[in-house]
Amino acid sequence: MNLEQQIKQAMQQVAELSDCTLVEPIEPNTLLLECGLDSLGYAMLVAQLEEDLGFDPFTELHIETYPSIFAEFLAIYQQCANNQ
Amino acid sequence: MPSLLARLKSQPQTGVITYAGKRCAVAGLMTQADKIRQQHRQLAHQPIALNFTNLAEFISAIIAFDGWCSALYLCPPNVSIAQIELIQWPLESDLSDQSTAKENNTVSTNQQTAWYLATSGTTGQPKWYSHTFASLTASSKYSEQLQSLNWALLYQPFRYAGLQVLLQTLLSGADLVDATEHEPLAQLAILKKAKVTAISATPSLWRQLLMTGQLGDLKLRYMTLGGEIADQSVLDKLKGLFPKAKLRHIYASTEAGVGLVVSDGLAGFPAKWLGDHSQSVGLKVSDKQHLLVKPKFNLCQNLTAQTDSQGYLDTQDKVAIKDDRVLFLGRATGTINVGGNKVHPEKVEQVLLQCAHISQVRVYPKTSALMGALVVADVTVKTEADQQEVKRELLQLAKNQLQRFEIPTKINIVDKIEHDPSGKLNRK
Repeated sequence: MNLEQQIKQAMQQVAELSDCTLVEPIEPNTLLLECGLDSLGYAMLVAQLEEDLGFDPFTELHIETYPSIFAEFLAIYQQCANNQ
Repeated sequence: MPSLLARLKSQPQTGVITYAGKRCAVAGLMTQADKIRQQHRQLAHQPIALNFTNLAEFISAIIAFDGWCSALYLCPPNVSIAQIELIQWPLESDLSDQSTAKENNTVSTNQQTAWYLATSGTTGQPKWYSHTFASLTASSKYSEQLQSLNWALLYQPFRYAGLQVLLQTLLSGADLVDATEHEPLAQLAILKKAKVTAISATPSLWRQLLMTGQLGDLKLRYMTLGGEIADQSVLDKLKGLFPKAKLRHIYASTEAGVGLVVSDGLAGFPAKWLGDHSQSVGLKVSDKQHLLVKPKFNLCQNLTAQTDSQGYLDTQDKVAIKDDRVLFLGRATGTINVGGNKVHPEKVEQVLLQCAHISQVRVYPKTSALMGALVVADVTVKTEADQQEVKRELLQLAKNQLQRFEIPTKINIVDKIEHDPSGKLNRK
């Protein structure tokens, strides 16, 4: 499973845990705040991915700008994965 | 201390409030407040429970009641106040005082009004803390520069954070736009349309506004962070986006009613403020590394018993001194701050313990770069129980009885839960 699939799977898990429904499909330019997860949902997603992947880019990297679309969120994780 | 109404009347200008697509001038709300005093003279010197209906009526009521009624309880929806005889506002039936309605002069008194705000308690029942108008408005002032601002209201005005923004706006003569009941993208659309220039929000809400990718479309001149620990990362991002704007982060204790304003763009506050008597609040650090504060006004009676011999109150906030800065680490009480919302681990533990299949539970925070902290629970399961089934049951109990931010984001099934030597749960 590649990183994008792992993130989408974790999003699905968090959505189920939070009684949220994700939008279908999530495209690279889908706004994160319109994916179906709220801010607490994203905090849970980052915590879940830290368990799955072993890193939390929001703590480890000095992020220049916060991600607002899915592609930016994925890019932050890809960059952090490359640095591991 | 002049009342809110007296202070507004002495200002060169008052602002405009926008809510739910309506605009109303504060001057009109002051007239409404005068009418309330004239039509309901029987309320003078009485304690009032103010129930929120809409922003305009709420503002008229606080203008009418401050300096006129003995006490003002700002009631969140569905919160009842036990054992206190209060007059509920708005009145249930029209009880206007006909005998005095014909007199057209404004009722004026010099009543000092005690303001009461609710904070959530460990058992789910709110705790009420009293504040004076002087303490609530210690940092509010009028100036031409402040008067030209257009503030966003992002918190309900009966909560401490929202009330601070509301009073600051009223007393500086600025405008206010209500965006409380919306998600960040919708909030940003309202703020852009209204051309908001000043925002006060928790670091978590600022991060959400940054995640919209549109915050930079605003022309912000004032940015305030409060309600949870402001980390250097979010301060740097806001400074980078609005380099010319004033950036302040505020440490406040709702209970003590003190606020500490830091405006140098760095997390924490300068260590040289400790023991500096020229500060608005006396500050020192205890042997346990707790921050102690000594406000210049009288503390709420509930708290005076908790002060030391010099009058300092233990805020129960843990701090560390690093590189000449005093940095906040979290609550010594174990209270978890999820994006500005307080979670009492004991309350969550009580709910989870209702599950017949678990023997012990420990609820504690996990640090989150997005929300400050998240709630996590460790549980020990009785041997015969199916673990997945137990997790589902625990989650259902939590969803039925707790608010969303209180629900554990992760439940770990463990073999053993550690206690410290005194028998208390170790929540670290």
